[in-house]
Amino acid sequence: MKNESTSTQIEEQRQTLGEKFRVQHWTIALITIVFGLVGAAIFTIIYAIPMPYTMVSLFKFGLSPALAIIALIGGIRGPLAGFLTGYLGVLAHDLLFFNTVVTYTLPALSYGVLGLIVGIASYDFSNGRSLGKLSILSAIGLVFTALLLVVFGLLVEQTAVLAGIGFVMLPLLTTGLPSVILLTPILARFWEFVNQTVQLPWQSLK
Amino acid sequence: MSQIFKQNKFVLSAFVITIVLAGMTFGNIPPAQVNLGIQTIDDTTFNFADYPSLTHEQIAIINYFNRLVTETEVNLWDGWNAERYLWTLQYVAAFVAYLFAAFSETTSGYRTAFYENFAQTLIQKMNTSVADYGNQSMEYYEWASIPGFTDYYYPNATNPDANDVYTGGFRGPANIMWTGHFALMLALYERNFNAGTVVDELSHYISDWELSVTTDRLGNSTPGGVWGAGLIPCEPYIVFPQCNSIPIYTTELYDNLYETSYMESGMWDYGLDFIEENITDDYGLYTNGYFVQRPIGGGPNAQLSPQEIPGQAVDHLVGGPSLNSYATAWAMTFLEYTIPETTIPKYPVFIDKYSREVSGDMMYILGSYNHPTTFGDIFGILGTLFTMTLANQRGDYVTRDRLLNLLRDMVNAIWSSDGRELYYDASSLDPFLSTVLSGFSVWSTLPVTVRDLADARPSEFWNYPYISAADDSNIWVYQAQWDSVKSGFILNIKVDSTAELVLSNFQGTPTAFSGGISIGNLVPETGGDYSLTLQPGNYQLIIMEGD
Repeated sequence: MKNESTSTQIEEQRQTLGEKFRVQHWTIALITIVFGLVGAAIFTIIYAIPMPYTMVSLFKFGLSPALAIIALIGGIRGPLAGFLTGYLGVLAHDLLFFNTVVTYTLPALSYGVLGLIVGIASYDFSNGRSLGKLSILSAIGLVFTALLLVVFGLLVEQTAVLAGIGFVMLPLLTTGLPSVILLTPILARFWEFVNQTVQLPWQSLK
Repeated sequence: MSQIFKQNKFVLSAFVITIVLAGMTFGNIPPAQVNLGIQTIDDTTFNFADYPSLTHEQIAIINYFNRLVTETEVNLWDGWNAERYLWTLQYVAAFVAYLFAAFSETTSGYRTAFYENFAQTLIQKMNTSVADYGNQSMEYYEWASIPGFTDYYYPNATNPDANDVYTGGFRGPANIMWTGHFALMLALYERNFNAGTVVDELSHYISDWELSVTTDRLGNSTPGGVWGAGLIPCEPYIVFPQCNSIPIYTTELYDNLYETSYMESGMWDYGLDFIEENITDDYGLYTNGYFVQRPIGGGPNAQLSPQEIPGQAVDHLVGGPSLNSYATAWAMTFLEYTIPETTIPKYPVFIDKYSREVSGDMMYILGSYNHPTTFGDIFGILGTLFTMTLANQRGDYVTRDRLLNLLRDMVNAIWSSDGRELYYDASSLDPFLSTVLSGFSVWSTLPVTVRDLADARPSEFWNYPYISAADDSNIWVYQAQWDSVKSGFILNIKVDSTAELVLSNFQGTPTAFSGGISIGNLVPETGGDYSLTLQPGNYQLIIMEGD
């Protein structure tokens, strides 16, 4: 198991930027973009479904599975696909359900950063340690997303600090962190199972 | 098997924790949508989607308010968490009455004592006097407890002579906030229940306002009335557009109910022009008050007093007029019936100046656009709530939903153990906001708006078939309305346990249809009424008049 982990790290170090972003060849780039688009569509649908939550004082607890989709796509297909899933997914959700484009799409971009950060590393979804790494990077990605959302809100939209922290950062962290830490590896393991069971057309194109 | 557990222990652990977490946070899921079907009976098609409908949550919240209102003495406010906000109780009573009027108009064919008693009791709660209830009365909370209010005269507040008008009375002439709200509660009660019991009292206020805004109350006709503004103060020294929007709206409704012509006579014209010319900001949006007299002692808004009086209320922190988004939204909502050509163009400007985006699905309204970095004070929250109602009236459902998302996202939906009542628990912010938020979440999502309610029902409406009695605590009436064109009674109802409904005003034995198929005639009762007994379940019924 340790050898597998080490070989993944060595493989990561040897990758060019194009390989890391999965765009080193036009067919591979196309598949990456398709992953991003499909991920965005799945994100949009799941994000629109009201999820259960409970408020404990000012803290919102619950799960937001849509966030795990961003992290998952990043984990499966790299940073570009992850970024596209978050960025386009939020844009599509806002446009379709609320007819809005907020603050020059900067909030959507913040969600894209989650997928981008998760996608930077490589993972072996059959390996528990690697799934743990996926959870940790998802959490780091989400923290960056939350910080960016607040910064963009304060500096560009000029929202109140209380609104930025109380209505954006806190709920995103209290619902988002459990979601990406717990759901992303579960979904990744499921993806691995599907990948091993069914012969998918893009498997030969890494 | 143990090998599988070993190989997947991380994923399995995550899965178990997810299940536990999801189980612990399972709440605040909206109930299922109300079914709206299509039925064809004798070549006449009834599409339930064409008729206004209530949601399950709206009815549950009204059930919650119904209990709070009717199950305590009229001078008590148990369960409202208003101990620190006693002076706001008049607003609470009034706005609950307004949202209830819109609510009951949505199911205009369901008029049992259950709802009428609610409206009646709210009026009684609004009208408690010091003489009857001492310092547990609306008169005390709203007026008599504020130092100096009962002493005022105009124009010489403290040393009156025969040329000064006494303006320190709770029931007027200066207390337009209470008299306006009270009269509108009476007017809406008459509009929706046609009781005829409060018409004289309502008429008194209308003619008293006319006296105030067209004469000096000393027997002389005076443009601009007593205070020279064509408007009436709510604190004895200051007039507000929002406060005067209520009596203006009430006068419109009164004219429509009783075919009088107060509005046509131009009773409020001077005041409406005065508002546009003197109580607006650079963008034409209504501002927060205009002082007609120098305050003596204190008062809720005395600190907004300008250097020169008369003059616009001032924001002494940043200069310029005092701004309050809730006041602007409120005034625009109630003035829209009278001056739509003026208020409707203001709406996008208002949203542009006062709103702040939080995310694609959330936004909030600033208390004042001159204080853009503040949020969380009572004025910002009130501004957000009143703008929800205004947005609903303007048909701007995206803005309404985005505002509502922000507020609902910070509270828990609390259902009673029997599932009949619901409220939003805002106790983490301020328990008083629980009722406020619950009320506005209904008011801002109803298909009937403030503007709609200014029109009286046609006189023949009172001859239409309707549900006059029912086992109210067993049913959820989502739709109940007589379609006078198709001569059918639309009834969309959920029955928790066996319930009997009594329907009145049918000329012949009516027949109930479900899915376009007759399920039988209603049973004749004494007095020409008919009864319908329903077992537990959901029903979309059309009840057709018999021969």
